[in-house]
Amino acid sequence: MSTSAGAAEHAHEHAQHPEHSHEGGHDAGHHEGHDHGSFWSTYVFSVDHKMIAKQYMFTGMLMGLIGGFFSYVFRMQLAYPGFHVPGFGVVSPGEYNALITNHGTIMIFWLAMPVLIAAFGNYLIPLMLGCDDMVFPRINRLSYQIFLISALVLIASWFVPGGGFGGAWTAYPPLSAKSQYNLTPLGSTMWVLAVGLEFVAFLLGGINFVTTAMNSRAPGMKMFDIPMVVWMIVIASILFMGSVGPLVAGAVMLVFDQTIGTGFFDPVRGGDPILWQHLFWFFGHPEVYVVLLPAVGIVAEIITVFSRKKLFAYKTVLYTALGTGVLSFFVWAHHQFVAGIDPRMANVFTATTVLISIPIAEMMFVYVATLYGGSIRLATPMLWALAFIGEFIIGGVTGIFLGSSGSDIYFHDTYFVLAHFHYTFVPIAVIAVFAGVTYWYPKMFGRMLNETLGKIHFWGTVIPFNGIFIPLFITGMGGDHRRIYNYNNFPDLARPDLQHMRQFATVSLLVLLAFQIPFFINFFLSMKKGRLAGNNPWQANTLEWQTVSPPPHGNFAELPNCYRGPYEYSAPDRESDYWPQNEPS
Amino acid sequence: MIERYIEQVSTFAGDIDGLITLIAVVVGFWFVLVEVVFLGIVVVFRQKPGVKAAYITGEEKHQKRWIGIPHELVLLCDVLIIIAAVRVWVNVKQTMPPAQETVRIIGQQWAWSFVHPGPDGKLDTADDIKTVDELHVLVNTNYHFKLEARDVLHSFSVPVFRLKQDAIPGRVITGWFKAKSTGTHDIQCAEICGIGHGLMPARIIIETPVEHAAWMASQSATASAR
Amino acid sequence: MKTRFARAQFNARTCGSALVGLLALVSAACSDPHTPAPTADGAELFQLCAQCHGPQAGGNRAVNAPSIAGLPQWYLEAQLRKFKSGGRGTHFDDLSGMQMRPMAMSLANDAEIASVAKYVAALPATKPAPQLQGGVADKGKLLFPTCLACHQADASGSEALKAPPLNHASDWYLFASLGKFRAGVRGTNPADTSGALMRPMAQTLADEQAMKDVIAYIMTLKK
Repeated sequence: MSTSAGAAEHAHEHAQHPEHSHEGGHDAGHHEGHDHGSFWSTYVFSVDHKMIAKQYMFTGMLMGLIGGFFSYVFRMQLAYPGFHVPGFGVVSPGEYNALITNHGTIMIFWLAMPVLIAAFGNYLIPLMLGCDDMVFPRINRLSYQIFLISALVLIASWFVPGGGFGGAWTAYPPLSAKSQYNLTPLGSTMWVLAVGLEFVAFLLGGINFVTTAMNSRAPGMKMFDIPMVVWMIVIASILFMGSVGPLVAGAVMLVFDQTIGTGFFDPVRGGDPILWQHLFWFFGHPEVYVVLLPAVGIVAEIITVFSRKKLFAYKTVLYTALGTGVLSFFVWAHHQFVAGIDPRMANVFTATTVLISIPIAEMMFVYVATLYGGSIRLATPMLWALAFIGEFIIGGVTGIFLGSSGSDIYFHDTYFVLAHFHYTFVPIAVIAVFAGVTYWYPKMFGRMLNETLGKIHFWGTVIPFNGIFIPLFITGMGGDHRRIYNYNNFPDLARPDLQHMRQFATVSLLVLLAFQIPFFINFFLSMKKGRLAGNNPWQANTLEWQTVSPPPHGNFAELPNCYRGPYEYSAPDRESDYWPQNEPS
Repeated sequence: MIERYIEQVSTFAGDIDGLITLIAVVVGFWFVLVEVVFLGIVVVFRQKPGVKAAYITGEEKHQKRWIGIPHELVLLCDVLIIIAAVRVWVNVKQTMPPAQETVRIIGQQWAWSFVHPGPDGKLDTADDIKTVDELHVLVNTNYHFKLEARDVLHSFSVPVFRLKQDAIPGRVITGWFKAKSTGTHDIQCAEICGIGHGLMPARIIIETPVEHAAWMASQSATASAR
Repeated sequence: MKTRFARAQFNARTCGSALVGLLALVSAACSDPHTPAPTADGAELFQLCAQCHGPQAGGNRAVNAPSIAGLPQWYLEAQLRKFKSGGRGTHFDDLSGMQMRPMAMSLANDAEIASVAKYVAALPATKPAPQLQGGVADKGKLLFPTCLACHQADASGSEALKAPPLNHASDWYLFASLGKFRAGVRGTNPADTSGALMRPMAQTLADEQAMKDVIAYIMTLKK
């Protein structure tokens, strides 16, 4: 495969586990029985990248359901303040803060990150590169185990005396640093530890992604023959590694402030609360692109397959992703325009922030150009991918209002901000995830999903999604601030027209949540009852579709060679409208 | 655009709203254009029997123009927005007109308290009027505020002024505003500050000189009765 | 493959129009003006209090939360109403009162105030451990007659005289409250009529030592 150090380690692991060798995949039955068929070694302590991917995916989805439940509880409180919320009870202000804090934390760190990067990264990278596993399978397993522990620590933090942490997902000190202020002595420390552990898990995962993509590609696969989603996950992993260091340092300082009484963020003892904001957002803004890039990668795969088109300007997409990544390190202080930083600094960060619209806009132009001249089929994965483009543009253009310092004075910390980033994060962590899941489901489980249930789920998610957040743009313009427990205490905000909009958003959320039921029925029923998928049901080019579904342990019966780029659809002078990467010319 | 939802009461509210309208027009144009082209393409290029998709690499010069020209137009719009944003920012946050009155604003868990200078017009003298949850200011007067926090971060936000500034323990942050009409409006806290964050509503009362003098007299009367 | 995609389009249209209809229904439903009054029982509402006052309402000095378990319902209700309306917790120097005020404001109405007060009143009263140093109970006994006129000889309080029981209070809280009354931080708000009765009484205590002494004596009184 390769002679690098990474591959050598790979070979070493194989020597210890002969059952991981390439010829392990002659028939699907072998896959069921690998590692001597023990339940524990197959499903729990597996080193198979596909099993680890599924572990990440299911854990992420479960956490996503919890996060969704939290949003249901606090939206009910906002629409009908003080009422008994069915399934939860009356929401107290402390509980409300803990709910919003953990909703945000879960959706970013325990849904978007594990599903988009870890699950799709683990599943797709070896298969799309045409190799048999990650370069470091055991580091991969360790990564998931640490991630699972981090999730358990977070869940446990809601049940300790004092309850879960309620200082918002940004955890600004001094509120987060002193239990005297946040009233959650255990919850806040466990929250920081859980987030810290989660970072460790993704650092380990990221090492694997980058090393595998650089060292284990199929013979003949050049840099520009790598499928876009792999590139995006690799760039995202590098961004994550580059940005997370300062925050880990900050997290250590925060835990010390909480537990052993240091004063890093305590102004009384010479510390500075603003320091945390810089450390947090230096990570926090690249983090947005860490989850965005895999999502746009998934969309690139899907729109090319379902429009039977070559990706427009492959290199441009790649360079815009790199450009976004680099630029994203220089925009963080736009979260702090009114936070007490030197006002002159805001001008610099306004410029960098508004300029980041260029690579992102270009990426969207490329996708629209890819669709031009295509033969578009609106199967469920394609609907999700198109919805991503359509909705993400709303998130993009509303960001300009917030990146411009002058208008951010008004919009900062209002519901306008909230609606804006949900128009970016929901397309990323929900719409693109469903696009990916519906697209690769036949490969993962060997059977097709039901299209009718898929369509019901699609429309039942996308329409109410707009129903939730369009009214919240308007309440934000009307002056609704974020993280407010009850608007009735503000005479200017207790108006019925605003309250009706809050109620409309809440009811839309209920509709959206109800329409997730068809998805889960479809997901679990199709595993047993779905139509058999065959190797390549979507007639796609990339290598994962050139092996059996689901792929056995070891992935390919015979490791493939690569002869061309991933997007040679509808090539002229060919009968067939697709041209698999491993098909000799 | 914003003024349809909430009054403009400070002198700079109009500048900020104007900037928001400008951005809305510029990005609204791009938004509509891209969505129309995008949805149009999805409708026009649906799968048709016997028609194969086009093979376009997008790597050739005449093809790249379709990305390159919009790219430069976006850059132009960006520069326009940056210039407009910086102008408003400099006016509101970076420069301050000389103060006619000064008030101290203090955030704590979970209330706003205010120190008014009293009849002598100076802070930190015996006749200061201290209130909780109520800020009384004069209309058409340049105010400087000294913003402090006693425990955690808070953010002093007056939506009708389009004014927002975080308060940081250990620092005194100075800002300004000038109200252009009388009335009573909400003050909110815009930075999460603990379990009472959503429950610290205060009011700003903008008064004519006559009303303000009457209020001050009533306050001094209460104070001397104590 | 072609038939599958054709069917898919049909499904998409039906589902889409069904959903638009559903959302229209929903929007009609949520503008319904008949919103029922909140109904919450005291135990549920108490979760709000427990965050500072503790799961058994035994208090937590670190966050300025006194022990409130077993205080009479009339007193708890009166104080909650004062906090909610701004009769208490709105003085410039009453920092701990400002922490309490929003919590009382989060109770929607008098019914909720009554139900949570009833719940707290039914919690078993405890005798918090003394935390103040330097008070001499014997000297305090000489000062106590001023108090017993309203609070009774055993410090068990009197509803008729609007005097709460003191015999289960935390000593640090009594000290802080006496200090606030003496300094005019409490008892000066025109809306706080019962506090106005207490303020002159607190002013009879000469200094901090006198306050500590009388509190030390109160701490010796059993129920």
